Amino acid sequence: MRGVPLSVRGGGCAARGGWPVRVARLVLACALAATCALVPLTAFADDEGENRVNPQQRPDSSFIYDTSIDALGEADAYYDNQTVQVVGEVVGDNIRSGVSGRFRWITLAAVEKDSTSTVSVFMTAEQAAKIDTYGKYGTTGAKLQVRGTFHLVCPEHEGLTDLHADIVSVVEKGRHHEDVFDANELVPGAVLVAVGLALMGVFYFLRERQR
Amino acid sequence: MWQRFSLYDLRVIGHYLGVLVLFSTLALLVPLITAVVCGEWQPAKNYLVTIGIALIVGSALRFLRIEPGRLNRQQALAVTGFAWIVLAFVASIPLYLSGHFASYLDALFDGVSGITTTGASIIQDLDHLSYADNMWRFMMHLLGGFGLIVVALSFGLFGKRAGASLYSSEGRSEHVVPNVVQTTQFIAKIGMAFIIVATGICSAICLFIGMEPLRAVLQSLWLSISGFTTGGFAPMSQSVMYYHSFPLELVLMLLMLCGSINFVLHSEIWKGHIAVFFRDLEIRTMVLWLAVMTCVFAASLSASLNFSDLPAMLRRGVFMVISAFSTTGFQNITTNQLTGALSSGAFLVVAILMAVGGSGGSTSGGVKFSRVGIIMKSIIATIKEALAPDSARVVVSYNHVGRRMISPEVVKEAMTVFTLYAVTYVIGSLVGIAHGYEATQAIFESVAMASNGGVSSGLASPGMPASLEVFYIVQMWAGRLEFVTLLALIVEVIVSFKPRRRILPFGKEGAR
Repeated sequence: MRGVPLSVRGGGCAARGGWPVRVARLVLACALAATCALVPLTAFADDEGENRVNPQQRPDSSFIYDTSIDALGEADAYYDNQTVQVVGEVVGDNIRSGVSGRFRWITLAAVEKDSTSTVSVFMTAEQAAKIDTYGKYGTTGAKLQVRGTFHLVCPEHEGLTDLHADIVSVVEKGRHHEDVFDANELVPGAVLVAVGLALMGVFYFLRERQR
Repeated sequence: MWQRFSLYDLRVIGHYLGVLVLFSTLALLVPLITAVVCGEWQPAKNYLVTIGIALIVGSALRFLRIEPGRLNRQQALAVTGFAWIVLAFVASIPLYLSGHFASYLDALFDGVSGITTTGASIIQDLDHLSYADNMWRFMMHLLGGFGLIVVALSFGLFGKRAGASLYSSEGRSEHVVPNVVQTTQFIAKIGMAFIIVATGICSAICLFIGMEPLRAVLQSLWLSISGFTTGGFAPMSQSVMYYHSFPLELVLMLLMLCGSINFVLHSEIWKGHIAVFFRDLEIRTMVLWLAVMTCVFAASLSASLNFSDLPAMLRRGVFMVISAFSTTGFQNITTNQLTGALSSGAFLVVAILMAVGGSGGSTSGGVKFSRVGIIMKSIIATIKEALAPDSARVVVSYNHVGRRMISPEVVKEAMTVFTLYAVTYVIGSLVGIAHGYEATQAIFESVAMASNGGVSSGLASPGMPASLEVFYIVQMWAGRLEFVTLLALIVEVIVSFKPRRRILPFGKEGAR
């Protein structure tokens, strides 16, 4: 449809430039048209060879983001040897692996409320050195984000369920909660003990009197 | 005719239960001192309150009968039966006050599990539990492992001459020395010697793997108590797996083995009678049983994808076999691996090992090797009788601290207890299934509770149905008392509440 007005406009233009100009414009137009037509074709031809649609292709699941320690605690074979990323509180101790001490075992506990899951993380001593606080009574351990490979039955560690860390970063520092001594809190217990001891005394008194 | 409790009996039973509750205050002093030394003031407050309650309840119970006199067999049975549950109620008070349990019932579950040395736990956030509360958990194992009555007798709580009926009602009948009190003291000494030596070795290992000195020593002490008493509680939520140390697992395996051997046989080794030890029916049954079950376990693992390589099989498999047969309940694999990665055959083997248990007269639970051995000998006697001529008299003997004959009474006792265990395992499985759980897991958990094994398949967890929780508590209690004491007690209580039928003289009845 556009050819008709072009030729009409072309008729107009020819009146202004003469035939050499018309030939030059035609050659230019043909060159542009050929470029537009051929360049995409070439590009498609290149891609088609390597990027053919494969209906058998499964979604790439080699990296599971936002995995929870709870999910790893109930993991099935799907999680085995996958790269996962978890966030958890460091609890317990920095346990030496082997004699050399180049590697460490760190226990990460789930930070979700009402969760009791934990996972053993295998990391280098340098990575473990980032941890400032280990969780225990009166202490909340540092919160770590660990990216690594999860093993349901680790062949390197005699069948242990573990996470081999690649990247370790501290998300939140640990903190201590002082157990402050307050004598008033001991009063109810002391009163109960005093009553109990008094009852014992009365019992022994009555027994001696019976004898 | 069934025996009934008279009011006098109840007052005497109450008095002696009061003695035991008062005795528990001595045990509660240990975590209180730990709390004060470690500056854990919140737990210190909880233990002070619990000691006060125990003193009041114990003294009040003693008032029921100021001069109780000596216990007869019927009263001793009741004292033993009730002691385990009454003390569990007291023991669970500080656990509940710790704030690590969703409800008092959950704390009671752990209290019963601790005292009966089952080792299954539904505590929340164990890794943040105070030293004092952990100390109390393992004190429960220590008291329950040796036997509440044994510990009480060894302290002379029931007098120097009392106790033979009490001693036998707790599932023990053999004496290391003729005197019951001296026997209990010997058991306590042997146990403490093992625990102290193991604590020293484990402390060195824990220090080497990088633990802080105080944590290393305390956790070693707790693991040693738990290992020797075949309890199963661990100070960390990952159980023994937390330490990632094969030497530590090796020490604990030896400790569990020692704990699952009859104390009478310990005394024989102590006296230098090595041959007596190796000729014993229980030891021979144990060796044979473990060899067969380990082969089955290894074959089952070999056929599966996981744990089929030798290092994994040796490290995880052998530890789980020893933990299960000794009814300790330590784990060096996760519960998820137990139910998901282990083959179903291996899973079943762990359950069967727990069901049979260790030696009689040890800290182990389950049916016991002595009974299995006697039943096997009885089967041999039956086959011999079938093949022998009519005039022949078949005699089958066995060795257990000397040569003994298989008698109908011994076989009856073994068969009765074996049957009661089997029935309880089945009923527990059905209860689990009725609550909607998988059959295999329900069977496994039922066996773990009734045998006091404690290796959990995950059913016993915070938020489990209360009815199932109560049933498991009863199973742990019944299993620890080996049923007969408990059943006799239940029957006697029921009969005592039943109104007496008035028997009228014949003449009057006829007139009606």
